[in-house]
Amino acid sequence: MDFQKQPHYLGIDLGSSYTKFAVINDDGDVVNSQVLPTFGRRRERFNMAVDLMHKNYSIQKTCTSGYGRNSQKSDIQKTEIICASVGVSQSNPVHKCIIDIGGEDIKVIESGSQGEVIHFHMNDKCSAGTGAFITEIAEKAELEIGEMSDLAQASNANRTINSFCTVFAKTEILGWIFDGVPIEDIAMGIYLSITDRVCKLPIPHGLPIFLCGGVITHHPFLKQLIESKLGVEAQVASHPLYAVALGAALLARKSDSQESRK
Amino acid sequence: MPQLESQIKLKSLLKNYFSNLNGPIAWCTSAGPAEILRALGFQVYFPENHGALLGASRTAQRYIPKAHQFGYHSDVCSYLTADIGAWLMGETPLTKAYGLPAIPKPDLIVFNTNQCREVADWFSYFGREFDCPVLGVYPPRHLEKVTKADIEHVSQQFQNLIDLGEKIIGKTMDMDQLKHVLDLSKTGTQLWQNVLETARQHPAPLTFFDSCILMAPIVILRGTSECVDFYNQLLVELKSRLKTGFAAVPNEKVRIYWEGMPIWGRLRSLSDLFAENGAAVVSSTYCNSWIFDDFNSRNPIDSMASAYTKIFINRGENAKLALVKKQLTDFAVDGVIFHDSKTCFNNTNSRFGLPQRVRDEMGIDTLAIDGDLNDLRFFSDGQSKTKIETFIEQLKEKKPLLL
Repeated sequence: MDFQKQPHYLGIDLGSSYTKFAVINDDGDVVNSQVLPTFGRRRERFNMAVDLMHKNYSIQKTCTSGYGRNSQKSDIQKTEIICASVGVSQSNPVHKCIIDIGGEDIKVIESGSQGEVIHFHMNDKCSAGTGAFITEIAEKAELEIGEMSDLAQASNANRTINSFCTVFAKTEILGWIFDGVPIEDIAMGIYLSITDRVCKLPIPHGLPIFLCGGVITHHPFLKQLIESKLGVEAQVASHPLYAVALGAALLARKSDSQESRK
Repeated sequence: MPQLESQIKLKSLLKNYFSNLNGPIAWCTSAGPAEILRALGFQVYFPENHGALLGASRTAQRYIPKAHQFGYHSDVCSYLTADIGAWLMGETPLTKAYGLPAIPKPDLIVFNTNQCREVADWFSYFGREFDCPVLGVYPPRHLEKVTKADIEHVSQQFQNLIDLGEKIIGKTMDMDQLKHVLDLSKTGTQLWQNVLETARQHPAPLTFFDSCILMAPIVILRGTSECVDFYNQLLVELKSRLKTGFAAVPNEKVRIYWEGMPIWGRLRSLSDLFAENGAAVVSSTYCNSWIFDDFNSRNPIDSMASAYTKIFINRGENAKLALVKKQLTDFAVDGVIFHDSKTCFNNTNSRFGLPQRVRDEMGIDTLAIDGDLNDLRFFSDGQSKTKIETFIEQLKEKKPLLL
């Protein structure tokens, strides 16, 4: 039997910055994943990606997640917190803490072994410490996002950005540039600032920590800094960028199996 | 959901109230001694009700910046900023709703800081605007226990109010009239409590969002027979709902307690969000704030002093915890949502560890959401929806056998 004709499930994470797609087969293996910038008014690329997945796989059900979860037709919609918990639990069926740093928010999720959310906390409305914060500050500092981790690793600086406000933080960075602060130390300063924001959230003690989301995917050096600040080891979840999309796909599969039992 | 007949009658009741605000008028805070003012012969107007109207009609957003320009900071109570901003712009929602050309002119302004100090600034501003006498009642604040000395302190201030009111009205207050008004208030408040307690039944016949509308008479008509009649009829309707097992939230799966102020400009959308997810918000600190157990016409002044000083917002953290815990037990609540209201520090109870203590002592999950009573710039629809939907799902996961 053609494997593509077997039942598949699509999870779509419509995040604030990027949209992530994950297709799983009936065994829960990821068979396709991709990422697109989250659409504004132009939805062609999004629609093309969805159409292609339906063409290539026998998609039984689709689950959407993320801020845009209700903006697209789908069989079920689940929040990104629920999906991250389910997605990370697939490979890590233990009682754990998930730290998901996304484009506009940070979530700390106490997640059960079966993927259930036990408790969660999100940062307040301010986007300081999130992907949008890094992008804005890095642009002002003329830093390439892809080079930041390598640069920061070469720094021994311990200087952080004080301002909570992204706009004021940009002004602060401008002052660093005027003062001739080396670019490695600027990269490090941005990361230390992010680490401070993450570690002030109520992270439950004694649980294994898993990191996921776009920020940890593109800024792997943050893992070391978070570990150092918290004094515990952390693991980056498998498929860190697609954890929510994977969780959504798994929930689509679960919904399908529940319906077929009825 | 079919509308309660009382809800339809509420509109004409309020129209009648606002249309008849033409005698000597006293302004009063919502948990102030309105009974004394009524017994003195004043018609009573409540600026907080006006503030809530500005929020619910989503006009507050137009007026708040005007108050900022006038010197009131954006972190200050958005009832105050919306109300003063509307005044500065010469507008009121009472015009569209009830045909009033403007808010009623006061002959006396009375506030009670049992709820916050902001009311002192707010009401004093209007005292200057109208060149009107202002009397503030300043009870002891943040009390774990309310002592005899605390009550005496407030009673003396109520006596000062009577003295001032008599001078303005030009006659002595009839103590029998005060007792009569207080009896009506007591009956009204008991009926309001009975109304709220119908939501102890599973499924609940009404929710917090219904109660935010239905509470208007206990705030602005407390101490009148109209208030008593309204809640008598409402109670009859709700008892009928109880008999038929009517569910305000069809397929009620989880029961939630709302702690803190309503988000007036989002009542409808939040009500829909909870209902769509099978969650009934069955009880709240806010709506319970107009239950005054201590009213007693045999000892009117002291009993009012006691009742108005014992209100939740005026209590210490331990007393607040005990009051919340009782509600959670009585209403069989699965989870608590704390509304962290940006401009209402005094009625926000998530900032000193109360959610954690509720979780630790009762094993009941809690969630804090950021928002505001009136200023929607402090409320994120998307983020709040994500938090609330996840929280409801989390609660459902914990009681799977019941689903």
